Amino acid sequence: MTQERTLLAVFSDIDPAADALDQLRLMGVHDEHMNIISGIPVTEAMLGRPSQWTNVPRLALGGAAGGMLIGIFLAFISPNMYTIEVGGQPFTPVPPAVIVIFELTMLGMLLSTFLGVFLDSYFPSYRPMKYVPEISDGKIGILIEFPLPDEKKVTEVLKKLGAESVQYTEAQHL
Amino acid sequence: MAENKKHSEHSHKSHEDHLRETHLMLDPMPRGKMNEMVMESMHTTSWKFWAVFALLSVIVAWGLFYSWGRLILEGVGIAGVNRPSYWGIFLVNTVFWIGISHAGTFISAILRVFKAEFRRPFTRAAELMTTFGLVQAGFSIFMHMGRVWLSYWLFPIPNQRQLWPNFHSPLSWDLLAITTYLLSSTMYLFLPLIPDLAMARDRSTGWRKTFYKILALGFRGTEGEWTHLRNALNIFAFAIIPVMFSVHTIVSWDFAMATRPGWSSTIFGPYFVIGALHSGMGAVVMVLAVVRGTMKNMNYFIRPEHFEAIGKLMLIISMGWAYFFFNDYIVQWYGGDKWTKTLLHWHEAGPMGWMWFAMLIFNVAIPWAILWNKKWRSTPWLIFIVGLLINVGMWFERYIIVPISLSINRMPFTWRLYEPGIEIPLGIGTLAFFVLLYMAASKLIPLVPVWEVQEGHMDHSLKKFGRETVVTVSDLE
Amino acid sequence: MTVDLNKLHAVGAIAEEAEGKWGMVIDQDLCTGCQACVAACAMENNIAFVGEEDAGYGRSMHWIRTERFWEGEYPEVRMTDYQPMLCQQCGKAPCEPVCPAFATVHSQAEKINLQVYNRCVGTRYCANNCPYQVRSFNWRDYQDSRIRPEITILANQFNPDVTVRRRGVMEKCTFCIQRIHKAQDKAKSEGREVEDGEFTTACAQACPASAITFGRIDHPESLVSQLARMPHTQHHLEELGTLPSVTYLKGA
Repeated sequence: MTQERTLLAVFSDIDPAADALDQLRLMGVHDEHMNIISGIPVTEAMLGRPSQWTNVPRLALGGAAGGMLIGIFLAFISPNMYTIEVGGQPFTPVPPAVIVIFELTMLGMLLSTFLGVFLDSYFPSYRPMKYVPEISDGKIGILIEFPLPDEKKVTEVLKKLGAESVQYTEAQHL
Repeated sequence: MAENKKHSEHSHKSHEDHLRETHLMLDPMPRGKMNEMVMESMHTTSWKFWAVFALLSVIVAWGLFYSWGRLILEGVGIAGVNRPSYWGIFLVNTVFWIGISHAGTFISAILRVFKAEFRRPFTRAAELMTTFGLVQAGFSIFMHMGRVWLSYWLFPIPNQRQLWPNFHSPLSWDLLAITTYLLSSTMYLFLPLIPDLAMARDRSTGWRKTFYKILALGFRGTEGEWTHLRNALNIFAFAIIPVMFSVHTIVSWDFAMATRPGWSSTIFGPYFVIGALHSGMGAVVMVLAVVRGTMKNMNYFIRPEHFEAIGKLMLIISMGWAYFFFNDYIVQWYGGDKWTKTLLHWHEAGPMGWMWFAMLIFNVAIPWAILWNKKWRSTPWLIFIVGLLINVGMWFERYIIVPISLSINRMPFTWRLYEPGIEIPLGIGTLAFFVLLYMAASKLIPLVPVWEVQEGHMDHSLKKFGRETVVTVSDLE
Repeated sequence: MTVDLNKLHAVGAIAEEAEGKWGMVIDQDLCTGCQACVAACAMENNIAFVGEEDAGYGRSMHWIRTERFWEGEYPEVRMTDYQPMLCQQCGKAPCEPVCPAFATVHSQAEKINLQVYNRCVGTRYCANNCPYQVRSFNWRDYQDSRIRPEITILANQFNPDVTVRRRGVMEKCTFCIQRIHKAQDKAKSEGREVEDGEFTTACAQACPASAITFGRIDHPESLVSQLARMPHTQHHLEELGTLPSVTYLKGA
């Protein structure tokens, strides 16, 4: 049953972690079988990892467009549903419409950016996950999924490169 | 010669030590240690904390909830508003609290965009002020309304006959702008908090564990999570700046759109924005001085260098405020309109003239006299006093703009001075509620964004240029 | 090619369009300052009596008031003409656009400035923005005899044609719109137009000096439009472009 378990190597610094990733790749572990968890934002470039895909900017743009449409509705369409004359102004004056459309565009954009983080990261999720609390102490953890080419050799190499601990880990409640 | 060299080496080393002592970013500590310090600051509560907490709760119960209940049941008559001062301290407080809320965004968005590194330890302390300040602003607006139980009529919801709110009205713009700002500043507070909540989750037990577990949303710090978070923070930092400017500009338009002498001014927008930053920065130093002085381990994270840096900003903003004030003043004065002239005279020589002069002293004279000096502006208690006086001065400024300017109009028959009534307990109540919320938050959420501080530690290093050692910073983003 | 001046917001064109159907002329030379208009208005429109203390603090709610001024330094003071001041029913009213709830609107039929009490949420922006300061706010529940037993007797003479306003609501002169509608309904049932002088507002009716004239300002033969064409007319704060419907006569 060891086939289904995951190996977690914890590093303190970026350089050894990056070296370890290189070694693992040489030993035939695919990038998609490795995942990094860290307590500070370590970029993919620092570790030489393939860059991550994020939908957040696209969702933000979509939200901005949606917000703008709501703004246009409020500024130009809603006053025509029940026309009331005030102060000799037109029913749908343009300068106040600019303000309404601006505010709703920004609101739509920021709300969808926020929700985008939730969607992309599958938040909130309270299912068990592979994790060790040391990560939030600023450590870098490499999660290596099986099958491994040579289990013992991998552990040895990782230890040699400065891993603080290399252990099998199972999903647990955070 | 050899001795001389040794001496210079020695002084060189002490210079390095000095740099480390001064700059948080050069004084790294293991992340685990910092986490512990922040957790400890949340867990350590003295009896003084609870005494102040209890006192403020009583003040909130009396000043905010009891008085507000009376105001709703008996009508706005128990406040001091009258003809012609239809707007009083409630509106003064609304503008004041929205002003306070501008500092959080200024620090965490503008300084983030410009990569001003000194912001790192206190972005969250400032953002909390934004959110809690906006809560008080919202309260003050609703207190002001004659029939607050119908306030949902101002929201963009149609009535049975498809009548929507009137978007000709600056108050409708205001509602949209403040709602946008409140929601976005709360989201902007929460996003960078997630990793710190995860940190707190890993280090707590009992009900706190459950609390942080729910709030941390299952954050582990995977590459994907960080990427989404970084992208979102970047969008927020840029996008929230125009929102912040729009909010106080629209607040100023509540006044500038009116056909009143003194209010109808095209410079009110930027004048209000700079005034908001003025009082906001004053409030930030006050909060930081109190946090540093009362919370455990905070003197590691918040150092004189931070007061020094904010002090410089305060000095610049004070100059900016004086510039806009003078612009507004001289155009009104030179124009020579009969009513405006009467109003300016009323400001300076009327019964509340002392307030006009106090405003100039607190907003301009005192900040200029103290903040130019690096040593003085690095002293927490001294800059606390300057921040306090700026806030008093800015409150006076809004008081002069709202009820004092309203007492003069084009119908001399109605001229009358405004005397506050139940506004005073309600104003004290909102202030107490702000402090109460802040105190509760300081015990529940990590006040220092530890991951951002660690990121900063990794960015900074010392570099030698010839004989001199200087601080360098690399760019993470 | 013709240009629609109304679309360009040219003030003159708007003046023509916004020229009220109903208008008022107040002759300050005739006004004696007797306050009969103030009392009659209060009776007609169920205006609250706010009591001594609130009245002394600038909270009296009269829809029309008689302003008095003095000129010169003591002892050489001279009184100026009495100046009755009421809602000027502006053609381009500053109070209207600033209400977020559409509680103060321009009536298309009567060309007057309406206050919709039940839509008012009490932001008081309209009152701030009224250059004539003629809007009054219900600071308290002045009309509730459960709260103020002393007004029980006054409650017996409420005008049934007019609502009673509660706390938190703005109100103002309506040009006695209930009388306008009554006259219009009567004329309609008799199949004719409302005649000039058939009815008038409460203030005009009560004025013993006949200083107040009310009527159709868009009918050239009506008394009010003849008076409004006199050479010594003036509009208050005309420079603000509010296009008031009330014309003052002074210094004939």
